[in-house]
Amino acid sequence: MPRRLAIIIALSCATLMSGKAFAYLDPGTGSMILQGVIAGVALAWFTIKVYWYKITSLFGKKPPESLLDDDVNHDGEL
Amino acid sequence: MNRLSASFRDPSGFVFSHNGIIHRQVNSRYAPEYEQLMASGLYEALTQKQWLIRHEEVQEPAISADANAYKLLRPEQIPYISYPYEWCFSQLKDAALLTLKIAAKALQHDMMLKDASAYNVQFLGSQPLFIDTLSFAPYVEGEPWIAYRQFCQHFLAPLALMAHVDISVAKLLVTQIDGIPLATASRLLPLKTRLKSGLYSHLHLHAKTQQRFADSAEDINTSPVENRKPRISKKALRAILESLAVTINNLKWHPPKTEWGEYYAQTNYSPGAADDKASLLRQLIGSIASPLETIHDLGANTGVYSEVAAAHCRYLVSQDIDPIAVEAQYQKRRAAGPTNILPLLQDVTAPSPAIGWRNTERDAFTKRAHCDAVLALALVHHLAITNNTPLGDIAAFFADLAPYLIIEFVPKSDSQVKRLLATREDIFPDYTEAGFERIFGELFTVERKQGVAGSDRTLYLMKRRVDADNSGSMP
Repeated sequence: MPRRLAIIIALSCATLMSGKAFAYLDPGTGSMILQGVIAGVALAWFTIKVYWYKITSLFGKKPPESLLDDDVNHDGEL
Repeated sequence: MNRLSASFRDPSGFVFSHNGIIHRQVNSRYAPEYEQLMASGLYEALTQKQWLIRHEEVQEPAISADANAYKLLRPEQIPYISYPYEWCFSQLKDAALLTLKIAAKALQHDMMLKDASAYNVQFLGSQPLFIDTLSFAPYVEGEPWIAYRQFCQHFLAPLALMAHVDISVAKLLVTQIDGIPLATASRLLPLKTRLKSGLYSHLHLHAKTQQRFADSAEDINTSPVENRKPRISKKALRAILESLAVTINNLKWHPPKTEWGEYYAQTNYSPGAADDKASLLRQLIGSIASPLETIHDLGANTGVYSEVAAAHCRYLVSQDIDPIAVEAQYQKRRAAGPTNILPLLQDVTAPSPAIGWRNTERDAFTKRAHCDAVLALALVHHLAITNNTPLGDIAAFFADLAPYLIIEFVPKSDSQVKRLLATREDIFPDYTEAGFERIFGELFTVERKQGVAGSDRTLYLMKRRVDADNSGSMP
């Protein structure tokens, strides 16, 4: 039980802390801003891909596995 | 406790060696993140897939005296530490894809990689493995990826340069310990790479955006300019990871045909002589009485003889100067499954130097490569004749590395040596079998010696003389 309690406390601490506390790297202003710029495009491209595979799967074509191999596959849900 | 100098950047903990075993201390400040990694199921998921190194928590009062200590971990031991500038194209590519897969998996467990250094990946045989257990941080909703720039510098830039400019550009990684600056890569890459959406956005546009904000000292977290720091949904972040993975995966290296690439086809060994050399090698290694942990095969080409020797030791590091040969060997072994052979790039005439802070962050080849036996087949003529290295210096180099040496002497009558001497003056009066034996005899005793049938070459098993051990680290 004490171990479980420790984990709960640890998790709560982790959630309460801001992301900045964990960063020992300088992320680079340009690199952060660029992600904001390309995020929309990347997401649109990903969504189109998901729907495309949904359509082709209607014709019995198996969608290729994601390179990220994280079982998200093509339902678009995380 | 011997703290390793490679792990000073991240205050989450550090790596040290105790009685020859690598340990990792988790500092108290990293306790919440470490517990989240372990409790969220992420550690289990990653280790089950053999993506992340396994560890056990240990309690050894004698070594956990540090006031900052939260936990002491003993990770699975990596037999030989290698660096990105010693990897072939596909090794760096596999390490990149592994890093992205781990980031995506972490995201599913509400965590994220807080760094994406190529040095966080090591190879166990042909299997890439993420070794930095302390690289995980809680995912904060809306945050961009902090390690995006580092990933692009450590992986995307060198891979793009290898694929689109020249394979040897990867050597820039020796001088650029934090990866190749994107501005440098962008300037070197051909125009056509700007037409590829992945390379354009993650590399060229990335470099431009960096330059645009390079002089801005304002903190984007507290900047009065509204919305300076972008908010990115989790789905969009995963889409960026996938886009990076597709970009990396589309990079291919098509090696030009070289004389080395087809070496086995045009060597002066007949198939019979090659078999004879293999069985001779088997006999010589088999006659070494002491158990062999690690063997270094230097000048291994595509690793045909490494495979013969690997049956007699726990781990074999198979090294060659030719990126094509190493690439061919890695791809073959990766496809074949688990192996105790690690293929690497290494130029014996100028081995990897010690680099980084105080020259101790990444060790030199000569510091890492101490082993039980060295294999030097069809190598000595390249060192002695192509590189003009005196035979005594070659012997001393091998004597520093291992107590046993299996070496092939290739005489001047051999067609390969004739070719090397065809365009230059023969200034090597000592380069004879007798001269070789006399000079190597100062540091080694010849245990066995046998000619390779069908050729003029001779294979030797040599044992280092007790008084010739200058390495200071061998038993």
